[in-house]
Amino acid sequence: MEFETKAVHAGFNKDKVTGATALPIHTSASFAYDSAQDLADVFAGRKYGYIYSRIANPTVSAVEKRINSLEDGVGAILTSSGMSAIATVVFTLTRQGDEIVSSRSLFGGTLLFFKDVIEKYGVKVKYVDAKDVDAYRTGINDKTKLVFLETLGNPKLDIPDIERIGGICRENNVPLVVDGTLTTPYLFDAKKFGVSIIIHSTTKYITGNGTAIGGVLVDLGNYDWAGSKVPDIRELSKRARQAAFLVAARNQIASNIGVSPSPFNAYLINLGIETLALRMKEHCNNALELALWLKSHSQVKEVNYPGLEDHADHETVNKQFDGRASGLLTLRLGSKAECFNLIDKLNMVKNLANLGDAKTLILHPGSTIYHECSDEEKEGAGVTDDLLRVSVGIENIKDIIADFEQAFRT
Amino acid sequence: MKVQINGKEEEIDREEVTVSELLVIKDIEMPDMVSIELNGTILDKGRYDITVVKSGDVLEFLYFMGGGSACGI
Repeated sequence: MEFETKAVHAGFNKDKVTGATALPIHTSASFAYDSAQDLADVFAGRKYGYIYSRIANPTVSAVEKRINSLEDGVGAILTSSGMSAIATVVFTLTRQGDEIVSSRSLFGGTLLFFKDVIEKYGVKVKYVDAKDVDAYRTGINDKTKLVFLETLGNPKLDIPDIERIGGICRENNVPLVVDGTLTTPYLFDAKKFGVSIIIHSTTKYITGNGTAIGGVLVDLGNYDWAGSKVPDIRELSKRARQAAFLVAARNQIASNIGVSPSPFNAYLINLGIETLALRMKEHCNNALELALWLKSHSQVKEVNYPGLEDHADHETVNKQFDGRASGLLTLRLGSKAECFNLIDKLNMVKNLANLGDAKTLILHPGSTIYHECSDEEKEGAGVTDDLLRVSVGIENIKDIIADFEQAFRT
Repeated sequence: MKVQINGKEEEIDREEVTVSELLVIKDIEMPDMVSIELNGTILDKGRYDITVVKSGDVLEFLYFMGGGSACGI
């Protein structure tokens, strides 16, 4: 089945009782059984069934199956946010004294999670340049439990060679964990490029309309957990086999922390997935057109969009993302004041902290998402004072350009 | 033939079946998320098609996703 078809049909066919073809929203905290033995069997894993929606929920499970189908993975866990998906993976794989090797070109929220949470619990994060393949090799040692990077650095828009970094991870028996939020499973086939676990903030392109906060993690089956450096996952793999990581992630971490999404949000995410392929094509087309237009504008000092042929990572876009560079671009105007002025003059384009919305969005990262980060962290993420980030929407490109044109002019 | 599944004796209307066939016969929900123990040995999923279940065999089906309990793992 092709991607577009799976996006519409995978995970849910019709409701067995009513025949409903729209995914039912099961807003039930828990699930009743006729006999005490039945519930005991479900608890013991001897019978299939739902117990309590913090652990699993039928609406949420259907969306997990759909996303897992798009990624061709072993299984997926849907979470309450992209950040909670990252937290679930990191807490599952690391213990005090362990290390993470991470690209320094990271979303601000991830940087703060590493700094404010993980490092306080005794896990060291070693940062490397996103594209410096050898630095990943040098950074890995016996304590390294995972390598972390983003498919397309946000907002630096630099693109690591994931196949080569995946090879280094395999040589060193370390799972490669990748945040694919900006590329989605439509642009990036994570399994093919050797990723172990792919994470998405579903809030962005996957849902696509700025409604529901959500996240997902998918085990792609590329890492053999029987040889894991994490003792309890290695032990778990004797019974759960390739699902060992997912069992640990769901039952030890996700359930106990309580990162489950609401069934209503799962419904909205599912609805968004149906049109993911259509929307991504438009985001990519519009972003390229806007990038070309901005590039020719006299008030714009610099445009960064990997879809441009002269971008340093354009070849990697062709290799990893089949020539499509998603919907995010950045521009530099020379000063923070110029940036604020442009934002204030835009009419249709919304000034807000999100991306991947059907609507075109703009943000000054330095004074918002990265306002708590050090100068060094900002530099690593490519955030300068005169930088604006634009998430190009799926409106008609003429209207998007017209709004920028009038904002620059007035 | 008679086999024991999760502690209960069950009649299967065949002389022998593969594990994959048994999953279909028993209408197991989410077969990808079930771990199967045959006579005390956990089976590799890749061997479900070639592993034959015979009369008197003892099977344990353990779900580790969905309901969410990993207690059986």
